[in-house]
Amino acid sequence: MSDRKDRSYPDLEGKVVLVTGAAQGMGAAHARRLAASGATIAVNDRKASSELTALAAELSSVAVPGDVSDPEQVRALVQRVEQELGAVDILVANHAFMTMTPFLEADPGEWWKIIETNLGGTFHLIQAVLPGMRRRGAGRIVVISSEWGVTGWPEATAYSASKAGLISLVKTLGRELAPEGIIVNAVAPGVTDTPQLEVDARSAGISLREMRESYANEIPLGRIGTAREIAAAVALLCDFRLSAIIGQVVQVNGGSTRGRA
Amino acid sequence: MTMPPAGRRVAIVTGAASGIGAAAAAELESRGWAVAGFDLRPSSHCSFDLSLDMSDSESVSNAVSQVEQELGPVGAAVSAAGYYEMLPVSEITLDKWRRMLAVHVGGFVNLSRAVLPGMIMAGTGSIVAITSELAIGGGSNDAHYAAAKGTLLGLVRSLAAEFAPQGVRVNSVAPGPTDTPLLAPDSPWRAPEYLASLPLGRLTSPDEVALCIAFLLDEGTFCVGETLNPNAGAVI
Repeated sequence: MSDRKDRSYPDLEGKVVLVTGAAQGMGAAHARRLAASGATIAVNDRKASSELTALAAELSSVAVPGDVSDPEQVRALVQRVEQELGAVDILVANHAFMTMTPFLEADPGEWWKIIETNLGGTFHLIQAVLPGMRRRGAGRIVVISSEWGVTGWPEATAYSASKAGLISLVKTLGRELAPEGIIVNAVAPGVTDTPQLEVDARSAGISLREMRESYANEIPLGRIGTAREIAAAVALLCDFRLSAIIGQVVQVNGGSTRGRA
Repeated sequence: MTMPPAGRRVAIVTGAASGIGAAAAAELESRGWAVAGFDLRPSSHCSFDLSLDMSDSESVSNAVSQVEQELGPVGAAVSAAGYYEMLPVSEITLDKWRRMLAVHVGGFVNLSRAVLPGMIMAGTGSIVAITSELAIGGGSNDAHYAAAKGTLLGLVRSLAAEFAPQGVRVNSVAPGPTDTPLLAPDSPWRAPEYLASLPLGRLTSPDEVALCIAFLLDEGTFCVGETLNPNAGAVI
């Protein structure tokens, strides 16, 4: 890939990366961006799919499907990555599950599913990759939070809470693991052009174009973000030349978030 | 207007003679930018350099015009010029207070006012202010420095909101204590006890700050009004 020659791309030659929620959208963009820096990639999504297989083939990477909310499946998939590629140097926890419901109508089962996937899944993943990072004495963990984890959002209680929980997890582990050379940070994307927009458009009963425009009107930059732009921030936090950003939330949102993470 | 050397993009970096400014200039040059360095002292490692006081608005405006004439349209501006001084609040004289604000806040405002018209005309541009971890966390004996750097945070977010619709992105970097000549050898920020209190156990390096600056200019095209915090864990 010609991108690899770009001086601004960190040299991740020989590094092993695990990206979750990678079958489409942002996760696929992170995988592509880090592959362009020379890393060896393992891509995960909840289930095996033609998209995940195609991405793995495109990046000469390994597909390790599995439900991250299940600690047993997480252990097994991380073990597979370690056996096939070696210990994980970089974890990009990008998986997410979301449904929107008015608060009093929220089903407790649904609430816990969102928390267990978004927050619990990241917890299981970090526990599973840590021993390998410790053996190497270095690592990078990038957790994908959300603008809504910073601002909160009506009818997205569980999702926003899970994403805010990830911010506290990142701050705590940032402090706890930095002395070992394992650097933990988060990226909080604003509205980004991913397949999720089609879901939003359908539920709002408008076209995809109208959905994009309606979001763009709320963003100072006048447009929504691209998955590639979110991936660029992820890549910054995966750069082993940069250790001084610790436990931080990098907000990539075109200027729409009026709040501090 | 002449073309920048070999069609290179043009960036202005203030405080380019040393420390964070020098590291930023070097990183940007290595990525293909033609860098105009502004400093009180010469920044001869840059493609182009001018010696001036950033608190003097006329000098800044003239210098930016000169860069536009010599190198071409300015695509990026990094405001790193500054100085550090620790004082108990009772010892901050009016002169010291004014000087601190004139250099940090005035310097950034002067630079922004001078480069914005060209960027707006081009429909694109990027400005980065170097603020400080002390703007967020505050610090004993840092009242005037923290006030100046904190002012920058509000300014950056406001300019970001005002100029994003015209395609100009304004962001900031808030480093922790950084290993530069601004920190005297006997600075408390170099004391082993302080360094041991940092999760990273060491000062931030100017090169790490430079990577953050370069990201905001190059690939951070959806970052608007954002602050990156390379601070070794000083403020989380």
